[in-house]
Amino acid sequence: MLVRALAGDRLAAASAGFLFALVVLAVAGPLATRYTYDAQDLDALFRGPTAAHWFGTDQFGRDSFSRIVHGARVSLSVGLAAVAGESLLGLTWGTVAGYYGGAVDHALMRVVDLLIGFPTILLAILVTGIFGPSLANIIAALVLTAWPGTARTIRSEVVAIREREYVDGARALGATTPRILVRHLVPNVAHLVIVRATLDASTLVLAEATLSFIGVGVQPPHPSWGQMIYESFQYLDGHPLLLVFPAAALSVTVIAFNIVGEFLSRVLDPRYVAGRRP
Amino acid sequence: MARYILYRLAMAVPLFLGAVLLIFVAGHLAPGDPVQTMLGDRYTPATAAVLRHQLGLDRPLTDQFLTYLWQLATLRLGTSYVNPGLRIGDLIGTALPVSLRLSALAVAVAALAGTALGTVAAAAPGRPLDRLIQFGVVLGLSVPSFVTAAALVYMFALRLHLLPVAGWGRPADYALPVAVLAVAPLAFITRIARSSVGQALLEDYVRTARSKGLRTPRVLFRHVLRNAALPVVTTIGMAFGTAIVGAFVVEVVFNVPGIARVAVNAIFQRDYAVLQATVLVYTALFSVVNLAVDVSYAYLNPRVRY
Repeated sequence: MLVRALAGDRLAAASAGFLFALVVLAVAGPLATRYTYDAQDLDALFRGPTAAHWFGTDQFGRDSFSRIVHGARVSLSVGLAAVAGESLLGLTWGTVAGYYGGAVDHALMRVVDLLIGFPTILLAILVTGIFGPSLANIIAALVLTAWPGTARTIRSEVVAIREREYVDGARALGATTPRILVRHLVPNVAHLVIVRATLDASTLVLAEATLSFIGVGVQPPHPSWGQMIYESFQYLDGHPLLLVFPAAALSVTVIAFNIVGEFLSRVLDPRYVAGRRP
Repeated sequence: MARYILYRLAMAVPLFLGAVLLIFVAGHLAPGDPVQTMLGDRYTPATAAVLRHQLGLDRPLTDQFLTYLWQLATLRLGTSYVNPGLRIGDLIGTALPVSLRLSALAVAVAALAGTALGTVAAAAPGRPLDRLIQFGVVLGLSVPSFVTAAALVYMFALRLHLLPVAGWGRPADYALPVAVLAVAPLAFITRIARSSVGQALLEDYVRTARSKGLRTPRVLFRHVLRNAALPVVTTIGMAFGTAIVGAFVVEVVFNVPGIARVAVNAIFQRDYAVLQATVLVYTALFSVVNLAVDVSYAYLNPRVRY
């Protein structure tokens, strides 16, 4: 069904294809590139794109293409790990709050309200600033900023569907609450989780880039697109290419996630009818 | 109306206190010992104990938290541990107005331009201008602010030499930071304005006005904009929040002496007291902005009542 829907939306298909290729490239990483991300060649500084260096070289003679690929590795793994974490946490929190209702719901949602009030970058900066910018801390910070939104969305949906007949029926058949939650509620909110996860992926990849740009994210020598962009600022006057490649990579990735996310939100909506354009 | 304001305030206070608690706990979990940092080379266990007692750091945590709350209430933010003699209140007092000015300018620009662009786009849906504006909105929302900053700096400062690259104080220095900061709010507001005006244009009273013979600009000004304003106003409030957060990148890139730069420097210097204070200020700002947005929405929308 998804594939057929994709055939009808060329932009979404192109974005999905790009993301797939990016993931493959990131996973293949060191195997796909001729140089490592930190191999300096001080005779070949600031070269433009050549056959030997597809994206040129940077201020230390490092191959830009390898750095971009490795940066993809880092940015994507951090972003996707954070998305997985926050989706799981938000889904569990929201389902429990939405199903039980009452005092439990109230308490759980107060915590969510508290965290949602925090500006996201600020929270992330607070965590990495205080506890250090290790990869684990960055992922934890990103999870912390994103899970309340998912929890709220999931909870609203669970509240809407918890009185449906199939839930009643399951209960009448003697299903235990955990079984109802896992076998009936979660699959019926899954489409929301998927859409949210995709859109959050774009936000979190961007957030990681911002953190690295400011300096409290991925630390050198590990490349991250945000960090590469920051370094390129110094040489902007003479060598703008240093900025172009990581900026383009970041922007296109973020846009691709957004497009795929909006496509999925349209297609996975239970009211979607294939073949009909709204 | 007054009841709603009181209700909102009652909701906001516990949230703010919860945030303060979070920040307090985070500060205490920070690695490193402030007493050690302050004493440096003169550290001996005896001196440390005396200093710790003076600072009140040996009292139970609940005591410390209550003292912290009281100090906040009286606006005494303490002194920095890393740069002794630097009063945090002074630091924030000079930095905060800069950030606020920057954000306010950015939001003002975004609000005016966004409403104008959104209205123009809604007035001619599907046409090339509309498509162009929509594309601009997507770009504005997806392209990271530091990329926009770099592009604008490259274009206007380095190539065309129209604006300065860095510095602060002269009117020209404001141009690029405000422009970069305004991009995301502008995209938001344009999108909302376009959809809101678009909706309003479908209403019956517009058809009536048009059939009376009024031409589109007059229709827009006299009837539509007033009715379409509501979602836009709330978005402006949200846009202020976005601008406050976006200030982090802008202040780092353009070296603007605002609160975000104070916070970032505090992180690099491991000055947790300053970091705590800046996060607190941001949280307070955000609470106020959210409160203002909710209250303004209730004021403008007769259907929201408590």
